Amino acid sequence: MSKLKFSHYFEVFFWLVLVAVFFGYSFEFNQNIEIYRYGATLWPRVILLLIALAAIGQFLDQRKNGDKASSNTMAAAHEEPDANPEHTGFKWYFSTFVLLAIPFIYMVVPEKIAAMRGIEEAALGQFKLISAAILFVLYLIIAWRNHVGGILALPILFASLLEDMGFYALAPVFIVGVMILMGERRSTRIALITPLIYGVLLAFFVSLLYVGLPTGNISPFYDFGNWLVTLLQ
Amino acid sequence: METFNNFLGGTAALFGDPIGVLIFFGGVVGGMLFGAIPGVSMLTLAAILLPFTAHLSAEHGIMLFSVIYCTGVYGGAITAILFNIPGAPENAPTAFDGYPMTQAGKAGKAVGAAVMCSAIGGTVSCVIMMFATAPIASWAISAFGPPEIFALVFFGLAVAASVGAKTFWKGWLSIMAGLMIAVVGLDPVGGIERYNFDMPYLAAGIHFIPTILGFFAVSEIFVQAEKKATGAYKAPKLSVDFPTFKELWLHKIAVVRSIIIGFFCGILPGIGATLAAFMGYNEAARWSKDRINFGKGKIEGVISSETANNSATGAAMIPLLALGLPGGALTAMMVGVFQMHDMEPGPLVFINSPDLVWVVFAAMFFANLSILLVGFLEAKTIVNLLRIPFQFLAPMILLLATVGSYAVRGLVIDVVVMFVAGVAGFFLRRSGYSVAGIVLGLILGKIGEQTFAQAMQMLHFEFSGFLNRPIAFGLLIAGAVTIAGSVYGAFFKKPPAPADSESA
Repeated sequence: MSKLKFSHYFEVFFWLVLVAVFFGYSFEFNQNIEIYRYGATLWPRVILLLIALAAIGQFLDQRKNGDKASSNTMAAAHEEPDANPEHTGFKWYFSTFVLLAIPFIYMVVPEKIAAMRGIEEAALGQFKLISAAILFVLYLIIAWRNHVGGILALPILFASLLEDMGFYALAPVFIVGVMILMGERRSTRIALITPLIYGVLLAFFVSLLYVGLPTGNISPFYDFGNWLVTLLQ
Repeated sequence: METFNNFLGGTAALFGDPIGVLIFFGGVVGGMLFGAIPGVSMLTLAAILLPFTAHLSAEHGIMLFSVIYCTGVYGGAITAILFNIPGAPENAPTAFDGYPMTQAGKAGKAVGAAVMCSAIGGTVSCVIMMFATAPIASWAISAFGPPEIFALVFFGLAVAASVGAKTFWKGWLSIMAGLMIAVVGLDPVGGIERYNFDMPYLAAGIHFIPTILGFFAVSEIFVQAEKKATGAYKAPKLSVDFPTFKELWLHKIAVVRSIIIGFFCGILPGIGATLAAFMGYNEAARWSKDRINFGKGKIEGVISSETANNSATGAAMIPLLALGLPGGALTAMMVGVFQMHDMEPGPLVFINSPDLVWVVFAAMFFANLSILLVGFLEAKTIVNLLRIPFQFLAPMILLLATVGSYAVRGLVIDVVVMFVAGVAGFFLRRSGYSVAGIVLGLILGKIGEQTFAQAMQMLHFEFSGFLNRPIAFGLLIAGAVTIAGSVYGAFFKKPPAPADSESA
């Protein structure tokens, strides 16, 4: 009797596509190494073969036994049971996917557009700021309805903005964002805890250990970051 | 007697030097704190400190790192137990039973067991290290070539596949995914760029520190965040009652077994404490009459894993100092400290700077002892971390992880990689995959491929050459049997009665 579910088909599909893509790409670096007969491709290809075998083996096992943990693994119980049904539907996955794509859009698209339109270096910063603002509004609209997706995407969004806007200006916004997404609604607490976390981090890493964190490269963020670093060190 | 005199000399040199004493205590407290604060690990601290060791003497630099190693391996156990966030991969098996104990309100017992067993394992291993470094090093040089190391990596991965994931298949796929991540970058023989997808960042490979931070610390935040958002999050219960000596005495065999396993895993280059902890845990489960309850909060799981990983710390110094081979991430950074002072770790260190060796040995011995003292005091402070609401802890952890991953190389893209790994880890964990398996594959992948290539060159590309090397052959067979057993079990054995998680 088949006990297969959609997720099982998706899993085997995912692994086999991954194997196919990586196997295909392995021809890009399929060069001879004089002292080593197997070259640079044997090792990754054997791993890919083992992934394919395991993915198929898993599929056959799932067809027979469903989602039951196999008898010979230990500690299967330490991971939590299956995810909340609220966050498994197609709609949820789609909106999460869009949220996760936003940071990557920021990392790639504005620079491409600027290059195509011939926007000059000096104006590029302003253009990136406007793009960031638009994408952030888009993020807020979607994350408003999908908090879990919002939490998954926020750190990547934060990281993608670090290069341009710097750690010093972004960190307080990030702290507030994470707290709100995790359900904190009391504004006095947020107002007290945010400077506390920010202050402790800066005091420890910047004043004490002299760790150089990204200051950003767009004014006024860049100026703010540098001003703060000078102040603290 | 000579060893004892050397040890006394090292102790005198260590405590007779005020700066040395300061660095020693800084390392003890720093290693524990960074090991214990969720989201950062001793590796974060070591990575941040690495550039600054240039200002210290070589002796102080190496001593600081070795002390951080001892106390950090223990510190990581605290978060593994309290938050299900192993401070480092070597604490992952501690979380298997430690976290269920916390959920059952027995966090104090688990932390107490970790304190005592870490100290016991570490101290015993230190004493053996002092006596055995020279003879063991000379045996390993002759008996352990690349074929043996490759065979050991293979065996280690085969064993690890059956730990932590929901099924054997998912464990195996997790490890293979880790191995594939390790393939990105330069190939170890010809220096050919692999899977760079035309991105300069990928040409150097994916760094393991952002990946580890992402898979462990960040994905854990996401898992908790989802529960928080859906109201399923439960703050762990508090308790501070340490196990009595009598309770630990019941598990004396597990302790001794783990010391032996930990020591032998630690001594092998490139394997270190991670495999020690996994094997210590695995063997404890295999020999236990109550095997079915492993992973559900058995104190023996915490004991076996924590004894083994600290027992590996002393042993890991042997290949580093005797052969110049790092036994893991932290000892790899120690190689960096040596190089910053224009020294090469290896047999010459014993001849050129015996003082350094004995100060380091003495420092490690006392660092392990201090786990007992500071560990008990500090564990109670750390338990208070549980009182902090998670919505305040989460931004702190995420920002600490950001600083940690950025500080390694000063690349923002490392931060992006970390958070992407966190998201990937979140989805993989939801589907029953093991993030510990991925990280193990990632760390052992490079060593595995390199030793395989060296082994094949040594054996003139004849696989039959393994037959003439009994240790390597034995390990390969053991690994193959382990895998075959798991595959057989998946298809032909009836699954056990539904676990608790199934009924939810």
